[in-house]
Amino acid sequence: MTLTTVPPRAVREDAPRRVRASVRPWLYLSPVLVAIGVWIYAPALFTVALSVLDWNLTTPPTGFVGADNFARLFRSADFWQALAQTALYALALLPFSTVIPLGLAIMLWQRPGRASTVYRSLLFLPVMMAPVAVAVSWKFMLNPLVGLANEVVGWFGVPPVNWLGDPSTALVVIVAVTAAKVTAFNMLLFSAALSGLDRRTIEAARLEGATSWEITRFIVAPQLAGTTALLGTLSLVLAGQWVFTNVTVLTQGGPDGVTDNIYYRIYTLGFEFFETGTASAAAVVVLLVFAVAGIAWRLVRRSHVPR
Amino acid sequence: MNRSTRPLVATAAAVSILALSACAASAPDTSATGASTTITFSSYSYGTQGAAGDGMQVLLDAFAEAHPDITVVPEAVPVADALTKTKAAVAAGSPPDVQQLGYSKMAEAFATLPVQSIEEIAGDEWDAHVDGIAPGLVSTGEADGTVKALPFTVSIPTLFYNADIFREAGLDPEEPPATIDEVEDAADAIVAAGHNGVYFGLLDQGKSDYLTQSVIDSAGGMTVDDDGEVVLDSAKAVAGIQRIQDLTTGGLQPAVGIDDAVAAFSTGDLGMFVATTALMSNLQTGAADTFELRTGGFPSFDAKPARPTHSGAGLVVLAADEAKQDAAWEFVKFMTSEQGYTMITEEMGYLPLRANLATDDEFLAGYFAENTLLLPPLGQLGDVTPYRSFAGAKSNQATVMLQDDAISPIILRGADARQTMSEVADRIRELVGSE
Repeated sequence: MTLTTVPPRAVREDAPRRVRASVRPWLYLSPVLVAIGVWIYAPALFTVALSVLDWNLTTPPTGFVGADNFARLFRSADFWQALAQTALYALALLPFSTVIPLGLAIMLWQRPGRASTVYRSLLFLPVMMAPVAVAVSWKFMLNPLVGLANEVVGWFGVPPVNWLGDPSTALVVIVAVTAAKVTAFNMLLFSAALSGLDRRTIEAARLEGATSWEITRFIVAPQLAGTTALLGTLSLVLAGQWVFTNVTVLTQGGPDGVTDNIYYRIYTLGFEFFETGTASAAAVVVLLVFAVAGIAWRLVRRSHVPR
Repeated sequence: MNRSTRPLVATAAAVSILALSACAASAPDTSATGASTTITFSSYSYGTQGAAGDGMQVLLDAFAEAHPDITVVPEAVPVADALTKTKAAVAAGSPPDVQQLGYSKMAEAFATLPVQSIEEIAGDEWDAHVDGIAPGLVSTGEADGTVKALPFTVSIPTLFYNADIFREAGLDPEEPPATIDEVEDAADAIVAAGHNGVYFGLLDQGKSDYLTQSVIDSAGGMTVDDDGEVVLDSAKAVAGIQRIQDLTTGGLQPAVGIDDAVAAFSTGDLGMFVATTALMSNLQTGAADTFELRTGGFPSFDAKPARPTHSGAGLVVLAADEAKQDAAWEFVKFMTSEQGYTMITEEMGYLPLRANLATDDEFLAGYFAENTLLLPPLGQLGDVTPYRSFAGAKSNQATVMLQDDAISPIILRGADARQTMSEVADRIRELVGSE
């Protein structure tokens, strides 16, 4: 057996180099880490601190109130309704974030040409327009007395509809108006993913006599599974935020709270009624809900991975 | 400079610039100590399209000409966000020096914002200045035993009607309905002629309850009594709101929001529209080539005199600096002077708040000889009931609760008036009593 010994002087000389080598990556990462700390984690911690204080934003906090803000929140029927509505928005927008834009992207991908480009551009146009301007335009079109929407449905003998004032239609309208934009944007993302597909397998399948549907079903769709899963997850997490502008401009959460959601409720509590503590408590609850859902999802996935 | 020292020098320079910027930000505002004083003015009329925005610019130009030593920097703010923005600005340490603030937001502003006493700032000039201003409107701006807001752009609800639709429906446009029963009969005839009958604009865009109060007060009730108690679920208050609901359930009033009603009235699809006189210029523009627009007084309920409640805004001063307070007073004094109120009426369509102006040849006599639409509401100015706020720092939240959770479902969606107003009254009592 041969023992290799390192001279003590060499160890001393290598130590600073090793320290430098281990510090260097952190130095490179530090701008991003500082930015994330300042703009994401610090506000999150500040929100948690505010959730146990009574503060109206303009006068100094009146003190520690423990779980009072959470208790007030949980007693409020509006809060539970807003949470339920947020889940409803997430489910309602899910197909418009995944299946529908996927189908549109594949159809346009299979028929390349000028018509396809024009059609894609037309679909994408709402994405580039200012959200508030789009919402205001919808407000005019959906006016129940003199709006274009009722004029159009009137051609088919349908009586005038109070699109935004009727609880049975208001939520559908908000989802539809938001979906128009989400679908167009996600269609573009699917188109980008389609452009990166391995065409050799598609050509091989075609030579083997596979039909267009079989190619889409068994070759194209599986290769887009990652993109679909990502956009689906984003939709579930962000649907409540996507509808925010439309809710603010078109319905302000009404009628009877059917278009409310947790993000609009937090905004109302915090910046309309200045119940900063209660609004922060609601934000903390949202954070916890997503954290629990994320952990549960990881556990489920782990249990399905073959050992 | 070698290569290794350059980053150090650059960093030092950047830090120096930041430090200098910080010094500049924290340096005392010399504009208040020199010959010229600069004040900021937050306004929901400024910058808007139409008569309100144009008129506000005329007022600001006139003030600038009269007071070249004072620079006013206007800041536009949406009407529904006026209180919100100022609270955020106060939290950030940069409130406006003067603000145009709606009456429905005023009680909460007095309770939570550093609003100064205009009466104290004015000092010896106070009595002479307020002499002649409608006294009820001055007292509405009182808090803690002193006046903190002077009436600025004030309007009252009035009955706008389409004279062409009246003729088509066999009604006499010279005799507009004066009571709620007559309104109902007229609406019936208008609907029979194929138009929308009437719309009471209780669901205000700014979530103010001034028209709700007008209806309830005219029906003999109150939202808040003289002791500050919430009494909006009294039998008379419920009966008043019930009358408006009956118009909807009877098919005489469309179950729509006020924006939709404005659009319908402007395009000649609505016969009568009970709304604030602040909408006058917009409705005149809409009616210009379409139909003949006329006005009548706010209708009375059940043989009781009509008691319209005013809406609109007062001017409040938030400036803490003495020089800025003096400049703010000059600004407020000008805006609420005979000249200021005359311009507000002529340019913006709001009511003149000094009784002498309407008949004075030097001011508005000529204007009213040609513009008769403001005469009916002007005739009711003496019957105006001061706006009443729910008590305390959560008054705005209570008002929004009344409008969103009681008035909207009752009038638009047929909710049970007695039960809904009782439930909401209990929630408001709990809310304003929880402070």
